[in-house]
Amino acid sequence: MIELKNISCAYNKRVILSNISLKIENHLTILGANGSGKSTLAKALCNLTAFEGEIFIESQNIDTLSLQQRAKAISYIPAKLDIYDSFISVEEFVLLGRFPYKKSFVEYSEEDKTIVSQTLAFLKIAHLSSNAVSSLSSGEQQLALIAQALAQRSKIIIFDEPTANLDPRNSKIIATHIKTLKENYQVILITHDLHLANFIDSPTAFIKEKTLHYYEDDFFSDENLEEHYGVSFNSLAVQYD
Amino acid sequence: MIKFLIWSALFGVLLLSPFIGAVNLDISSIFVSSSLEQTIFFDLRIPRVLFAFFAGIILSLSGLLFQTLFRNALMTPYTLGISSGAVLGAGIAIKLGLGTLVFGVAAISIFGFFGAMLTVFLLVYLSQFLHSHQHESLLLLGIALSLFYSSALMILFYLGDAMQNDMLIRFTMGSLSVIGWSNPILLGIIAFILLVSIYAYRFELQLLSISEDQAHLKGINTKRVTLLLLMVSSLGIGTLVSISGPIGFVGLIVPHIVAKLYPLSVSHRILKTALFGGFFLVACDTITRGIQTQSELPIGIVTALIGAPFFIYLIITKVSK
Repeated sequence: MIELKNISCAYNKRVILSNISLKIENHLTILGANGSGKSTLAKALCNLTAFEGEIFIESQNIDTLSLQQRAKAISYIPAKLDIYDSFISVEEFVLLGRFPYKKSFVEYSEEDKTIVSQTLAFLKIAHLSSNAVSSLSSGEQQLALIAQALAQRSKIIIFDEPTANLDPRNSKIIATHIKTLKENYQVILITHDLHLANFIDSPTAFIKEKTLHYYEDDFFSDENLEEHYGVSFNSLAVQYD
Repeated sequence: MIKFLIWSALFGVLLLSPFIGAVNLDISSIFVSSSLEQTIFFDLRIPRVLFAFFAGIILSLSGLLFQTLFRNALMTPYTLGISSGAVLGAGIAIKLGLGTLVFGVAAISIFGFFGAMLTVFLLVYLSQFLHSHQHESLLLLGIALSLFYSSALMILFYLGDAMQNDMLIRFTMGSLSVIGWSNPILLGIIAFILLVSIYAYRFELQLLSISEDQAHLKGINTKRVTLLLLMVSSLGIGTLVSISGPIGFVGLIVPHIVAKLYPLSVSHRILKTALFGGFFLVACDTITRGIQTQSELPIGIVTALIGAPFFIYLIITKVSK
């Protein structure tokens, strides 16, 4: 369980989130307009951005966790991979997920490598293991990122717009994986993709005007979406004309 | 096969290098005890080859380190103004007249070292004001600092007398000429420390090569690791530059050549980059001594003549993507 107590975030003196409190029992989907603070909230959870207030994971304040403990508790999957080292292979890349478990200055263990090959097989990308990550398609890169997060074996996985750069076919592959992962992980999904959000079917938090509106279910009606986004909807699709 | 040829050519040059120079030596003469040839070989040539080798290691490893830490193909101590900082520091020491004193070389080194360190701290301090992913801005800051330092150096020229200016000019052109064993040994120790530090942190470096956020999320104290590695490399650059003057482009081109030869992840290129850098600078230095002119060609000119075209090639192929 994750508990947010009076979270406020500001960026360049502009207030993004103001006094948010929320108990996340299990899964959560975070929706909101561009710039509404969805990613900021996710980054606050991973301590990538400064915030006021307190965040508890399994009733432990995350400020008291070491960086390593935090890495074992939460993993974060960005929408897009911008990779400088153009030669790192998928296997090496996924192995980096084992870093929090590795002893300083020594190689990754055989167990780490076994976990990596199991994870690649589970996501059906074992055939890519020796390919360079930079040569993969966006869909394959997203799978490699998920593999890295799974190898990290953290209970909480945050997906930050996982389908933003993907075609429908790859979106479906990723969506199916995310749904499966709900069984064993606590999935926090940030997205603009309403079909994805509806399919994943978690409780929903809508961020609007710096505060958070929480829905246990019944979020995905066209009337409700229209009220939140301010445009007309027809079966989850925006009406352009 | 091409790799084997390149490595053996470089190794061959390394073996030949001590025999080449203003006085060409042959192998029998160096074993004649207390001959001039023996003195040249053991007190000038061998120390110089070693010095060039260690200098090459420091420059190319620093280049690899900066490029990886800041995820930008153009980052090196040279392009970030750290070398220029060292040159200015050493220039001030010369201008203050410290160069002609008995402990002159040591004083110049200390000033050069502080010039390099000060630049690193200035860059780290200024980078706080940049958004976390704007490493291009950091490069611009480095270039701005370099220009500032060059102008400051011009003022030193303007104020200096003829002898000091001659020292300054020779210094800024860069030279690997050393006398005796103390400088090569000092530089060897520092090169070893740099290699061990980078190798020890190869896993952290690999994560930092993806993104700072991802490294942080995997449990790395990114600020501490970055600063530690920058400090060790600045120690190397500061010491090297204050002895030899600035030697450009080696740090830029060697990591890229090695990456072209060995398309492997960063952590698997550290040792190869160090070794290639050492060989490469020895080869460049051998050219400066091999070309017969009335005095030796400065090493900075040779590396820049090879490096500048490569730099242009790099800009039009890699950065434009």
